[in-house]
Amino acid sequence: MRAPLAWLPTGLRYLTMALIALALLLPLYWMLISSLRPSDEIFRYAADFGWRTFVPESLTLEHWIGALDAGYLRAIGNSLFVAFSTVALGILVNSLAGFAFAVFDFPGRTVLFVCVLASFMMPFEAMVLPLYHLVRFLGWTDSYKALIMPEVASGFIIFLFRQFFVGIPKELFEAARIDGATWWQAYWRIAMPLTGPTIATASLMLFILQWEAFFWPLVAASAPDYVVVQVAIARHSNLETTDWGGMFAASSIAVLMALIPFLAFQRYYVRTIVQSGIK
Amino acid sequence: MGNGIRERGWIPLLFLAPALIGLIVFRLAPIGIAIVGGFLQQTLRGETVFAGLANYLDLATDPVFWNSVRVTLLFNVLINPFQVVVALGLALLVFRPGPGVTFFRAAYFLPMCVSLAIVSVLWNILLDTQLGPVNGLLSALGLERQPFFRSESQALLTMIGIASWKGCGYWMMFLLAGLYAIPDDFHEAARIDGANAWQRFRYVTLPLMRRPILFVLIADTAINFLFFAPIYIITNGGPAGATDLLMFQAYQSAFAYLNHGRSLAISTILLVVIALFAVVEFRLFRSPSDA
Repeated sequence: MRAPLAWLPTGLRYLTMALIALALLLPLYWMLISSLRPSDEIFRYAADFGWRTFVPESLTLEHWIGALDAGYLRAIGNSLFVAFSTVALGILVNSLAGFAFAVFDFPGRTVLFVCVLASFMMPFEAMVLPLYHLVRFLGWTDSYKALIMPEVASGFIIFLFRQFFVGIPKELFEAARIDGATWWQAYWRIAMPLTGPTIATASLMLFILQWEAFFWPLVAASAPDYVVVQVAIARHSNLETTDWGGMFAASSIAVLMALIPFLAFQRYYVRTIVQSGIK
Repeated sequence: MGNGIRERGWIPLLFLAPALIGLIVFRLAPIGIAIVGGFLQQTLRGETVFAGLANYLDLATDPVFWNSVRVTLLFNVLINPFQVVVALGLALLVFRPGPGVTFFRAAYFLPMCVSLAIVSVLWNILLDTQLGPVNGLLSALGLERQPFFRSESQALLTMIGIASWKGCGYWMMFLLAGLYAIPDDFHEAARIDGANAWQRFRYVTLPLMRRPILFVLIADTAINFLFFAPIYIITNGGPAGATDLLMFQAYQSAFAYLNHGRSLAISTILLVVIALFAVVEFRLFRSPSDA
């Protein structure tokens, strides 16, 4: 006994969902497909809009090959080095602190933990300009240190590790201690091997954070030797360039390199991020 | 917090030290530097001297600064409610399961994985007055071409548009989690009482979503007060100061006017604003019972 037009709400819902998806995805698709077609074709069908705007007449790899010049390869190398260094140091430093907050009882623990939580409510962008003076004072401008060190300690990742370690029974560590293990061994041999998903989430967050960093690298290390991917792309576009194909190829590479780890770890990531805000 | 294992003072400290040093040096010290630096000025001979409130007094009489304050407030008054409403709309749209709904959810989240720098580069081209495909589409539809970023009246709204293109799916995720936390019985009871869809939304969903909505609104505002990359890449604050947000002014003060006192004074003002939002966010975060 379904009323006539009962399909209408569902139909409208799907139509709305599809139109929004189109508006969000078409620009990205256009960027990718434009990086794979000859320059004259990009321009012709951008201004003269039609189905050809999205369906290329011919495909070419010239922009991708052109984009991977020495300068951009250097930027990719810099970004990868900075991102992986931040991941390695960040996992170690933040899990150690998370372990201490979860396992030990020491004076001032609660106050200190509240301070750590407070630190991640202050977006890093707010620190960029004053931090520049500190980094200049340390003589770190235009160095990998300047790019890596400020992003290693993270209140949010300490919080993630602490939440996980709190769930491990204390008896496990006490038993290990009675058997003569040091606290370092209890942390490294017992606690860390259990933290797989938290390490995955934290690594992805630190990697994406550094891979997509723009403001801080622009301020702290803009010399060609230390230029990172995002700054390289922005520079390229600032030169009033007409090399859209090259720019789209460089951008597509940058997006794909963030997207691949994201899709691989997406399940952990989305869950952790969302729970952190709602709990 | 639960009771942990008592251990001699220096062992917990050793575990904490690297992270705490990092947070003190890179998160706490900059706040101090901004505050102190806001009271300093550089003389023509390159000496740094204490200048009292001179930087703030200069700002108070600087029309460029006041324009920037006005633009920043306008930007935030428009973008934050807009993004929350759109994100809530998206969340409601993909909340109920159905064939392909998971795909749409992922699709809405995808632009979040594109960095702000690339979003800027891409949309700058998409919206180009002469060559951009958006204007190509407008003229194909027989509509007038629009200047977007090149128009004083459209530039700020266009910024809001591209920031929302990237950001709304991200905030949708938080609101979606909030929707899932509402027990099914609530809607069922309202339905049995004869409430229509709008009434169920207005009197059941909305009151129960107050906390996640507030969280998203505050977190979004804190981020948008520091909006920078697209301004730097696309408009440089123009045309005629129409997109001259405070974060960009602070950057320009330091690296274009080489006036670090001014830059740090603006940074301090931004830090105070962000700290206020952080306090509110923190209370929300800490008390699960009530918003």
